[in-house]
Amino acid sequence: MRLICLLLLFWVYPTFASETEPPIRFGLTAVVLTENLRFLDQWSQYLGQKMDRKIEFVLRKSYQDVMDLLDSGGIEFAWICGYPYVQTRKPESLQLLTVPIYRGAPRYHSYIIVHRNSTHQHLSDLKGKVFAFSDPDSNSGFLYPLTLMMDQGEKPETFFRQTFFTFNHAETVQAVSEQVADGGAVDSYIWEYLAIFRSDITEKTRIIKTSPSFGFPPIVSRIGVNDTTVSLMKSTLENMDEDSAGKELLERLKLDGFGHFSDSLFNEIRTMAYKTHRADPIYSMLPTD
Amino acid sequence: MPILSPKSWSLAIKLSLTITAVVAAVGFMIGAVIVAQDWKRFQDELGAKALLLSEFVAITTPKAMLRKDYWQLYLSLKNMASRRSDTTGGHEVITAMILDAEGKVMAHLHPAENKMDLPFSPGNRIEEELFQQAMSTRSTIVLSSGGFSKRGFQEGVVPIFSDQKYMGVVRVRLSVAQLYEKAKDSAMIVLALVFCFVIIGSGLGTIVSRRMVRPLTAVTQGLEAVGRGEMTDFTPIPINERDEIGHLSVTFNQIMAELAEKKMLEEEIAMSEKLVALGRITAGVAHEVNNPLAGLLNCIDTLRKHPDDKKLINRYLPVIDQGLHRIKDIVHSLLVGLKIEESHETMSIQHIDKLHDLIKAEVGERNIDIIWENRTNKDLYIPGKIEQIVCNLLKNAVDILPQGGKVVFCMHQKGPQLVIEVSDNGPGIPSNIRNQLFDPFFTTKTNGTGLGLWVVYRLVQSMEGIIEVMSDEGQGTTFHVSVPVITMKAA
Repeated sequence: MRLICLLLLFWVYPTFASETEPPIRFGLTAVVLTENLRFLDQWSQYLGQKMDRKIEFVLRKSYQDVMDLLDSGGIEFAWICGYPYVQTRKPESLQLLTVPIYRGAPRYHSYIIVHRNSTHQHLSDLKGKVFAFSDPDSNSGFLYPLTLMMDQGEKPETFFRQTFFTFNHAETVQAVSEQVADGGAVDSYIWEYLAIFRSDITEKTRIIKTSPSFGFPPIVSRIGVNDTTVSLMKSTLENMDEDSAGKELLERLKLDGFGHFSDSLFNEIRTMAYKTHRADPIYSMLPTD
Repeated sequence: MPILSPKSWSLAIKLSLTITAVVAAVGFMIGAVIVAQDWKRFQDELGAKALLLSEFVAITTPKAMLRKDYWQLYLSLKNMASRRSDTTGGHEVITAMILDAEGKVMAHLHPAENKMDLPFSPGNRIEEELFQQAMSTRSTIVLSSGGFSKRGFQEGVVPIFSDQKYMGVVRVRLSVAQLYEKAKDSAMIVLALVFCFVIIGSGLGTIVSRRMVRPLTAVTQGLEAVGRGEMTDFTPIPINERDEIGHLSVTFNQIMAELAEKKMLEEEIAMSEKLVALGRITAGVAHEVNNPLAGLLNCIDTLRKHPDDKKLINRYLPVIDQGLHRIKDIVHSLLVGLKIEESHETMSIQHIDKLHDLIKAEVGERNIDIIWENRTNKDLYIPGKIEQIVCNLLKNAVDILPQGGKVVFCMHQKGPQLVIEVSDNGPGIPSNIRNQLFDPFFTTKTNGTGLGLWVVYRLVQSMEGIIEVMSDEGQGTTFHVSVPVITMKAA
């Protein structure tokens, strides 16, 4: 009888805990993921089951919004870009949790794209044209092209006739494909993802420059979240490739899995951020909304 | 081609065509008005929709314009255009744009041709005018392409203000193509209805016109029958209505009935006149033959009693001879007259001139002047009956004239008629006997048979000619005969 009561207690406890404990909030932007709500539901269910906690994805327009949520304690985890990750915060409010592995490595590129029918071959050909950036806190969608400009002694606001932010890599591709912008900078992971699922858009664009590889946008945790939750989240994500449901979700994301990597993975980004910040501090203070 | 000339068409066809044309014209006019009104209403509704869409875009625009968020502006146009089926009732958004206060493109639905942050360039003069209107307005307006065209449009123009400062304008242009199809469909329905009306109208027109024309046709046929003199076998027009045509039919039926009655009366009179004339001839023949017969019978009776009395024989034989000759003359005259009347012989007109000598011989020693005037063409051939007519008229004139009288014979051609005039300056004909001049056995001469003028009258009538007598007592008499000429040369 005592054994039964004990078993019952063990059985009831997790259920009780999962219903009474506040959900783990995971911040995302449309910059990285397309707004596929059904997929997010499935992923949150998967993570919730694995962690025995309710997982809630919190969607925001820009990286800045997500960073603000992290700072204010509004979320526990976030999938952010390498550029906001390397920016200096005092006091530091986040730590590296895990890095997605894409095509065998935790790395990706920035693509400079133009319309398929345009004659532009180099970034310099886009002088006096309209250029689409993704997010002011995006490495591939802003920092890298900004660095390219600066290497040539140019500034976006004088080099281009007009620039705008789409706050969504997919929409940057759309803006170029529909010729709203003459050129744009996008995340290679998103462009390739779209080439599979929305080839009608990517077929209208042409890559004129591919950047060196950078550390893939990482998943970070807020400093202050208890270690158990952090380590549980880390192991859950990094072990997704070990079960079929996880594999299926990774396949949907077109990722190989998540892995532990050192902070040095983001040194290239860090160098670029330092360079641009030194050249013009305004580039680290751009308003995003 | 008489069938192609409308003047030769029957009244029934003209009337039904007129009714059809009137129905068609009225139908098409009403149809055109309905279609035009429909088109205007559709256009107005589309204009209101275009304006609503422009306002919808304009509400969200000022903030994005201030931030120069070109992508957001573009997306607002794109979303509006892609949701058109819900918000515009399926009308295609031809184009949409957001222009700043200087006319630069902030966003355009067709960004490839209309680059952002560059001045908007209208493609042609009409577009330039529309652009100027859109830029100059400070209140919402609807611009229209006007006219009935598939490529037309309605454009809603809404100026954008932020804190009462003019920032630019939103233009949304909707295609009328769908309306055009709708209007075309309704026009086709109206056309089909008009066509039905025309068919019904022409059917009714045919029925009405036939009903109206049928009595007129009957009246025409009746009048043609009157012309031919066939009045008795006329079938009365049936009277179905009491309208004007009904009254006409009733009146016509009455006239025809009266004419038929009159014709019958005339035939009866003619018959009785024939009987009277026959009676008169019979009585005349009996009287004329009977008179000498009585004397002859007396002579024969006396001679039978005194067969050997030579003196008596010598005295009575000439009397018997004279009496028998008189009877022979009467019968001969009657037979000759009737025989010539039936004759169709022709002769040269020159034969008439021979009568001149004959009549001069008839005059003999008497002092009578004969003036002969033949002004006709010598090649003319005339009925043989004319010789008898001229002979009888001349003999009459010569017989009646005293010493020193004058006879004028004149013959000439007047159109198709041969005109003969025989005048004398004799005592004239007393007015009380003029009516009996042409009666058989009527004579004023002591030894006349009374058949000369009767024969003349019969011959003139047989040639469908006219004979007239003009006479003044103590002044003389003129017989005027006019007969149709047969031919120029005998066959």
